Amino acid sequence: MELEKLLYSTYGFSSFRPGQREVIEEVLKGNNVIALLPTGMGKSMCYQLPAHLLPGSVLIVSPLLSLMQDQVAQLKKMGEKSVVAINSFLKPEDKEKIWSTLGNYRFIFISPEMLVQPFVKKQLQRISISLLVADEAHCISQWGFDFRPDYLRIAEIMPLLNYPQVLALTATATSKVTNEIKKYLNISNPFIYTHPMDRKNLVYDVKRFEDQKEKIGWLKKFVDHCEGPGIVYAGTRKKAEQLALDLTNSGLSASFYHGGMDHQDRIFVQQQFQNGELDWVCSTNAFGMGVHIPNIRHVIHFQLPTSVEGYVQEVGRAGRDGKAALATLLYAEGDEGLLESLVMDELPTVREIREVYANRTEPERLVEQGIVRETALRVIAYWQSRLPLEGTLLQIEELQKEKIKQAEKIRKLVTIDGCIRQYISECFDQHLLDKPENCCVNDGIDYSVFKKRVKKAVKVVPASWKDRLDALLPS
Amino acid sequence: MLFDELLIAIMKAVNRERTISSPFHLIKGKKSGQTIQDIGYYGLYPYFAVMPRLEKRFYDQVVEGLFARGLLQKNEDVIDLTDLALTSQTPKTQLDGWKYRGNEQLFLNRLSLIVQTFSHISQKVNVFDPVVNTEEIQLWVKAYLRKSNFRDRAATAAFKTQLMDSLEEAPVTERHKMILMQRLSGLGSSGLTWEQIAASHGMTPLDVQLFTVETLHAWMQIIEQNRYPLLSMLMEGVIQQSALTESAQRTEKLFARGFALHQIAELRQLKTSTIEDHFVELAMNDPYFDYSSFLSEELYQAIVAVSRKQQTKRLRDIKEKVPEASYFQIRLALAIR
Ligand SMILES: [Zn+2]
Repeated sequence: MELEKLLYSTYGFSSFRPGQREVIEEVLKGNNVIALLPTGMGKSMCYQLPAHLLPGSVLIVSPLLSLMQDQVAQLKKMGEKSVVAINSFLKPEDKEKIWSTLGNYRFIFISPEMLVQPFVKKQLQRISISLLVADEAHCISQWGFDFRPDYLRIAEIMPLLNYPQVLALTATATSKVTNEIKKYLNISNPFIYTHPMDRKNLVYDVKRFEDQKEKIGWLKKFVDHCEGPGIVYAGTRKKAEQLALDLTNSGLSASFYHGGMDHQDRIFVQQQFQNGELDWVCSTNAFGMGVHIPNIRHVIHFQLPTSVEGYVQEVGRAGRDGKAALATLLYAEGDEGLLESLVMDELPTVREIREVYANRTEPERLVEQGIVRETALRVIAYWQSRLPLEGTLLQIEELQKEKIKQAEKIRKLVTIDGCIRQYISECFDQHLLDKPENCCVNDGIDYSVFKKRVKKAVKVVPASWKDRLDALLPS
Repeated sequence: MLFDELLIAIMKAVNRERTISSPFHLIKGKKSGQTIQDIGYYGLYPYFAVMPRLEKRFYDQVVEGLFARGLLQKNEDVIDLTDLALTSQTPKTQLDGWKYRGNEQLFLNRLSLIVQTFSHISQKVNVFDPVVNTEEIQLWVKAYLRKSNFRDRAATAAFKTQLMDSLEEAPVTERHKMILMQRLSGLGSSGLTWEQIAASHGMTPLDVQLFTVETLHAWMQIIEQNRYPLLSMLMEGVIQQSALTESAQRTEKLFARGFALHQIAELRQLKTSTIEDHFVELAMNDPYFDYSSFLSEELYQAIVAVSRKQQTKRLRDIKEKVPEASYFQIRLALAIR
């Protein structure tokens, strides 16, 4: 009961969401914990609340800068003031101030590459850290769909910090990945909390088409009939832009989103979507993290995703309000070809590996000259410091095989006759106990629960700059 | 000014003397010796760093367009404009890139967050996702708002009035001002992406980006007159006191203390050519620059005479006529005011 009181007095929530209490209790008992909680289940509360009871600081390692910024913003929005983010974009004068008062912060966010800088290590050794949080811990696994080599560096700092208590958080992890988290974070007997992967209010649909033209035709008709908001995931930036244009031209309020856009533009699209000014966002897998919209009704995959883990994470953005949401996967003859190239695109090529090994001194130049991709360099650089050329080549070959396996799992998802929900659970080594009424295309879908689109009155667009200013700052 | 008009304006100045990628570096605000000295040679001050984040692929697309429209003709080495381009009118512009150095973005970021805050607070919404998430800007805006008693409705009204009146004075079109307003966010009206703004005006994203910078430059000129105190405060740190790049400033200090060029290079662990670039920059900016330790008066006169007579600023052409001068000496002579 005490915990609930604290939850209410600190954040104003009257009850925990499923899983939070179990995880928090174990953390407070002093145990190492690996928590597998689906996205949107309030993972961060698992360290937020303990931070108010533990004596020292909570150190949160966050793999993505944008994610870190978002988490800091969310914490501040909830009224937490004692928050600091340490990343390579800090200015020297700010750094000094932060270092001198580091131990006073309740929440210290840090990127993996900063974690291993000698000076930073020294600073961290100086203060008392009660809990180390590995956020998005699946990134530590090279078998995971989202491997970030830098993340393995957490392992290097563990002995220096005298093996602090660890909380590893992730939304998606197979048992293979969980084992790797244990191994790299050096936690032998963790308490593992696994929340069922399955989200009962998600309905899985698969549509098959003869060709791309038929597919796009279906999409246009579908979004014209169905009430949003929704996300259309495309395989490439170009495709995302093109789909957005197609939808806009058919009179829908749609826009695109991808990592190649201007930073401010990305924020604008997120906010428009969040405020309901936009019904559809066509995007690459860059869209989603940091999007907090409970009522997304549709997630459509225009192209095959590259892994079941990635797929589950993306469809998991729909229906966070608990109401029915539809996940539709579109498949046309020949999509495997694109899938294959996308899968391979995620890994360094043999040529790239050889180039980097041959140019040890200035590998960045290879990126500038367009010989090696930046993402590839990051992976190669990690292995280069550990393995000779042959070892790295072998390593990447292994990864390639794994990726192909993952892609095969996705391919199977669009072809099986059995229950898709059950199939997905099996991919995560979980056993599905019961199925909802509205389950998947192979069990039959009741589409009537999804609302028909109501044509909204066209929003009045300000005619002059003064009108626009009046809308922003009404007198 | 449209983006292709910007390109033509720059290309006219450097026609047949610079490569096709030189306008790109100028627009991005590259701080290399070549780019900096060209600004002085050719009077390209307005266009420096007007789009610091311009991507090469977009630049290349527009250049392709200029070829296709018969404004540029094929030339392996240099920019080669056709008569059609050379006789075209260069539109008047409010751009002043050399003065603002891309810092209009700092002004705009502060403005965006202030407007967003006023918009929410004045409509009784206290929690929102900030449209600018750099810590530095957030702290600055927080301090600004605290000073202006921002929860009081009168504060919003006063800010709005000064914004409206000062922007009214800016000598740009109504469309310019509209585009800038579309980049601002408030309760229920999020800012629009470049694509969205471009579509709403039937323009290209690059054009609306340039319009925004032009509007900001024009507007900041008005604000600098200090008649709108609530906006003048946003100018803090926007205009750099010295016209020099930071690195050149350091070289200048060492030079003033009596160090020679090669000593400065050693001390700073930089290439001699980099330090040479700094001296060219110094010469460009300082009418009293003492060049006697680099260049005799005779050589200076000889170089300038050739440049005038041949109507060229190409180093190679000048070197042919004055072979005793080094490239550095030629660049320096051309930079001296
Ligand atoms: Zn089923």
